[in-house]
Amino acid sequence: MKTHVLMHPRAEELLVERALRPLTAAEQAELAALGVDVDDDSIEIAAAAALVATTHVEPMPDEVLDRVAARIAGALDGPPVIPIDRARRRARWLVAIAAAAGIVIVIGLYARRGELAPADARAALIGDGSRALPWTATADTAAKSASGDVVWSDVKQRGYMRFVGLAVNDPTAWQYQLWIFDRTRDQAYPVDGGVFDVSSTGEVIVPISAKLHVDQATLFAVTVERPGGVVVSKRERIVVMAKPS
Amino acid sequence: MRDCLARYRGLVWSIARRFEPSDAEDAVQEIFVDLWKSAARYDASVASETVFIAMIARRRLIDRRRSRDRRPVTEPIADEPQLAAAGNAPDTCAEASQAARVLDQLRPDQRRAVVLATCHGMSHGEIAEATGMPLGTVKAHVRRGLMAIRAALSGVREETA
Repeated sequence: MKTHVLMHPRAEELLVERALRPLTAAEQAELAALGVDVDDDSIEIAAAAALVATTHVEPMPDEVLDRVAARIAGALDGPPVIPIDRARRRARWLVAIAAAAGIVIVIGLYARRGELAPADARAALIGDGSRALPWTATADTAAKSASGDVVWSDVKQRGYMRFVGLAVNDPTAWQYQLWIFDRTRDQAYPVDGGVFDVSSTGEVIVPISAKLHVDQATLFAVTVERPGGVVVSKRERIVVMAKPS
Repeated sequence: MRDCLARYRGLVWSIARRFEPSDAEDAVQEIFVDLWKSAARYDASVASETVFIAMIARRRLIDRRRSRDRRPVTEPIADEPQLAAAGNAPDTCAEASQAARVLDQLRPDQRRAVVLATCHGMSHGEIAEATGMPLGTVKAHVRRGLMAIRAALSGVREETA
């Protein structure tokens, strides 16, 4: 077992959920995307230890034992021969398949629900009273002529970023990542608002995908990170920021 | 398998009766078949045999419950989940002792949430409904409780390594 001193809060949340119920395909994909070892059963083991600790063991009645033994003998066919490395490979394949299935499900749900396009959803959020906070560009080369704003609702846990003039990125080389600072959380660990790409220097609207609940957003910052994003940013390249007044 | 059945039948039977008082026999059969199929994945450096068996049993029982989509608790919920008396388990394993210590240190409402989630297979929503605790509080209690047990078990393994 690997001993993880620190764990991404969302990964921890998902691993706890996994110990209590089967994860959805989208959640499994999210877990895999967070770089979590899919073989990490440490929280499930903790739950099992609690179960043993709180179980008063009673003997199985003999007649039940006889029936169960007979049924097991009939159900089993051959010895258990799943080498551990093959089983782990199989688990990884399942995660990959689940990730793909999750993407299809998300796309399917988006289309089926007939959700608003990002521009319309952003306008609706502003119409409901959320403010558009203007970005302040830094001196970073990607942000030279960037402008735009961010709209976020703490109540609805939804938001959109609008950019004009932000540099187009090569997703295989680097990506943008949004960070949301929450007044109720440790400021050293802002909430991951999602990794995204910019494919045009014209107007681009990007939905925010906060990985944790944001109680009270106090600052939004976009950084440049490696492909896929990071769990904790070194904040070496901050491109734009926005702060409620 | 015969040895496994002889050694752990009481534990598996008791766990199954907690989750499925009316259908424990079917559940026990499925759990032992799962154990047989999963035996090659057992790693003594990760967990004791007792805890591994309890883990496989929980998985099967949770799957059965979810697939039937029925309420997990069909027996009255004790206000104060009691810890098993020492010596009741077939092997008094260090992990269970450590988990008991952690559970004992939790506040009663925290302990109740953890036990209902881990030992009765109840969802967060079902626990909130059953106990009257807010959903967010239930989630926080379960998460912190499990992480505390996990941390304690990590210490056990380091000591025995």
